[in-house]
Amino acid sequence: MVGVALAVVHNQDDAIELAQETFVRAYENLSKFESRSSFSTWLYRIAANLAIDFWRREGRHVVLHGEDAETEIGKLPTTSGDSFKEVSRSELSARLKQALEKLTPEHRAVILLREVEGMSYDEISDVLQCPRGTVMSRLHYARTHLRNILKDVAGS
Amino acid sequence: MAECGEISMMLGAFEDSELEPNEMQEVAFHLARCESCTGILADYSTLGRDLRSIAAEPSLAGFSSAVIARVDRLPQPVFTRIARFLRRQADSVGTGFAWSGAVAAVAVMTIILMTPYARQFANRGANSTTAIATAEHEAAPAANQVAQATANEPTMADNDSHADISRLESENHSVAVWSEPRRDTTVIWLPDQP
Repeated sequence: MVGVALAVVHNQDDAIELAQETFVRAYENLSKFESRSSFSTWLYRIAANLAIDFWRREGRHVVLHGEDAETEIGKLPTTSGDSFKEVSRSELSARLKQALEKLTPEHRAVILLREVEGMSYDEISDVLQCPRGTVMSRLHYARTHLRNILKDVAGS
Repeated sequence: MAECGEISMMLGAFEDSELEPNEMQEVAFHLARCESCTGILADYSTLGRDLRSIAAEPSLAGFSSAVIARVDRLPQPVFTRIARFLRRQADSVGTGFAWSGAVAAVAVMTIILMTPYARQFANRGANSTTAIATAEHEAAPAANQVAQATANEPTMADNDSHADISRLESENHSVAVWSEPRRDTTVIWLPDQP
């Protein structure tokens, strides 16, 4: 739960707070759980919705919304190769965190749910309540975006 | 051979093994011949490892107690409170009924089981007063004397009667003793006295 919230809000304290709120909301709305998905997916969904709402409400970030964000992919450089070898670990880590901050919560959530939480595309689709195709395109955008930022670091 | 642009859209899903089998084959076939796409795929793989390496392990100490405290602080709607009160009352009434029923059942079973023993004890007291009356010796020489022993208590237990009969028969082999339960009578037959 914390991992899902962290994937969106990218702040540990906020994520823990949201995870706690997730359980409270689940307790309050237990009668609305209809067993159409697994209980864990239902909890993840609450966590994701709370986190996305929180992130938007806070308004601390510049957000590229919806399809606008995805069209940004066309503007990204598309050089190829094994790009990250020369970058020091600490610098890479810092740049990666910055790069994640620049993603929309939806894109960040998708890539972190996949890479860190290890969810399948179907599970992500369930949790974020979007079609599987959208999961794929958001993942593609997020990966390309992050890869190019890291390549820039390596290049400089 | 498929275009790199087309294949690059599928590279992430290929890395995640989320493509259809025919698409997996198509991408694999392309990768075997395209260094550029192979490089992108390697970058995706590295990116995944890096993301996992920077993922913070949040400290969850006190997490569950914090959740419970928040749940306890939730305001309860009036309807919910009334429903809980009624449910508690129903539970206690139900428990009372259950205990009363259990006690009553035990009492009834005890009475049923104890009744034969109670009868037996009562009969033992009565047996001590049982008199065996012997009929007076009649003048008729060939006639046998029949003595009738009547029990004062017609409800004499069978076991005791049999025990008495057996005892009399063993003491005097020429005595015949039998019981007539229908008349609540024990008959003792004695041969002529010398």
